[in-house]
Amino acid sequence: MTDIAILILNTTSYILILVLVALGLVVVFGMMGVINMAHGELFMLGAYTVVVAGQMGLPFWLGALLAPLFVGAVGLLIEWMLIRHIYRRTLDTILATWGLSIVLKQAVVLFYGPSSQSVTVPIAGAVAIGDFSYPIYRLLLMTMAVMLIAGMLWLFLRSDFGLKARAVMARPDTAACLGIDTRAMYRRTFVIGAALAGFAGAIVAPLISVDPSMGLGYLIPGFISIMVGGAGALSGVLLGGGLVGATNNLLTVWLSPVLAQIAVFLLAIIIIRLRPSGLMGGRHGT
Amino acid sequence: MAPRPLAALTFVILLLVPLIAQDYWVDQLTRYVLFGLFAMSLSLVWGRGGMLCFGQAMFFGGGGYIMATVTLGMWGEGLTDSLLGLMIALICAAAFAALLGYFLFWGKGLSGAYLAVVTLAIAYVLEQAVKSWYALGGDNGISGVPPITFAGFEFWQTSPRYYLILGVCIVVYALLDRLVRSPFGVMLTGVRTNPDRAMYLGFNVFTIRVTAFVIGAVIAALSGALFVAVDEFASPTLIGFALSTEVLIWVALGGREMPLAAFVAAILIRIVETYLSELFGAYWILALGGLLMVSVVMLPKGLLATPFALFQSRRKLNQQ
Repeated sequence: MTDIAILILNTTSYILILVLVALGLVVVFGMMGVINMAHGELFMLGAYTVVVAGQMGLPFWLGALLAPLFVGAVGLLIEWMLIRHIYRRTLDTILATWGLSIVLKQAVVLFYGPSSQSVTVPIAGAVAIGDFSYPIYRLLLMTMAVMLIAGMLWLFLRSDFGLKARAVMARPDTAACLGIDTRAMYRRTFVIGAALAGFAGAIVAPLISVDPSMGLGYLIPGFISIMVGGAGALSGVLLGGGLVGATNNLLTVWLSPVLAQIAVFLLAIIIIRLRPSGLMGGRHGT
Repeated sequence: MAPRPLAALTFVILLLVPLIAQDYWVDQLTRYVLFGLFAMSLSLVWGRGGMLCFGQAMFFGGGGYIMATVTLGMWGEGLTDSLLGLMIALICAAAFAALLGYFLFWGKGLSGAYLAVVTLAIAYVLEQAVKSWYALGGDNGISGVPPITFAGFEFWQTSPRYYLILGVCIVVYALLDRLVRSPFGVMLTGVRTNPDRAMYLGFNVFTIRVTAFVIGAVIAALSGALFVAVDEFASPTLIGFALSTEVLIWVALGGREMPLAAFVAAILIRIVETYLSELFGAYWILALGGLLMVSVVMLPKGLLATPFALFQSRRKLNQQ
């Protein structure tokens, strides 16, 4: 019984991180047609911010706070130097951001070496109810992720900014005619996506091994979640991330992790093929 | 479509290399030329056909593994002929690509970023499968693959082997050049630039796409099978994500629409990489990533294809 509870909790935390990563990807894709292959590296930079902050003697939480700021600033720089030149050239963005991902990965290797770093869990205790005990930090991580996801959904679905953002997503030219500064919207969205990835990387850092190529392990499942759920609506990411994460973790009960991942990818490929606009996508969609 | 004089020049230079270079470099160049052949296959599928395949290495590595297992006698004691291994590798690649192409392109079909991510995921799955496949050596791969044997002659010496491989490349290039200039090549361009209009004009977009995909897979499998026989080693790195993206970078930097540019770019990048990684170590990869970004933003047609095309348009002007 406790095994099942732990499995469900672990699965939930994996799903929440996946959704955080995928949300950043999908707003950037929906907004400016940019497929950001370097998103995983932004996630990795977030984790390294915490590592470096720790080495400098700063407390974990300060590092976790600095991570979105730093990665957001990196995002601003990337947007200015690279992304703004290739808006809406979707296939070109795949290549250009792939080059960027190589650069970021290699830069981290040059500074901190290819080996993996570790971050100590900031809160060591566990919550115990009878036989069942679960680390407090993981519960805290889930709470933060849920709040952040809810905040993002509020920002894009309820706020003024979100209304403008969705207007730009739907009809960029019309939105520009109506006086919305689309350039500024693109920039802000990209920075928000980057900061989100940075924060996600920072809070997961204590639970996984932090190394320069850690981004890929979240990037591919992130993309697959978006495509399974549908890139048209933000709610698609919740569904897609939930399905991909849950199937992956639950299958590990019966299969080895490698086989479970293979099974998830194959299932996802079939879903993407049969419903290219995603499970939540309407009849029209890209 | 690269100008033919340029292609001739390229191959003449490559033919002359063993006369001046040391054996070590000829041996390295044999491998690089095969990577060039591999790059040509992606240039056809992606550059000419507009199908961004992020997993082209699955055919390269797949062909390699089949060649390795056949020539080592794992399919049957008497069946260790190199030519037989090549044939089986090409047929299997064609059959797999036809099935996969059917799955990917029927009906409305996948295109663009969706195709990229799906092919990426398939390559990843295959790599994982090979890694955990005990009979194929798992993570360690298969070593001791015999050299190419043809009509009783073993191609293991550096120069004969180089000329054999280069000969294969020249033949494939000539065929590919013909294909690109043929009515099929024109249809393929039409399908890439405007699939809806091509369909409206009565062309079977699905068949054209699958055919190009299969031809690309066969060329990739040919290069992979030869590579394994040259390298005497088949490993999971040949099949997966890393090589798939590497070939994509070569093709993108060279110029995806021009098989010759892709071929030359793959060879040049490998040569430069061997030189520079000794000099600059890890900074070289940094530079390559930066170069890719600059190339995509400023010269989306490719760093080599742009001057190549210039050469062609000058010639046309002179003829007028």
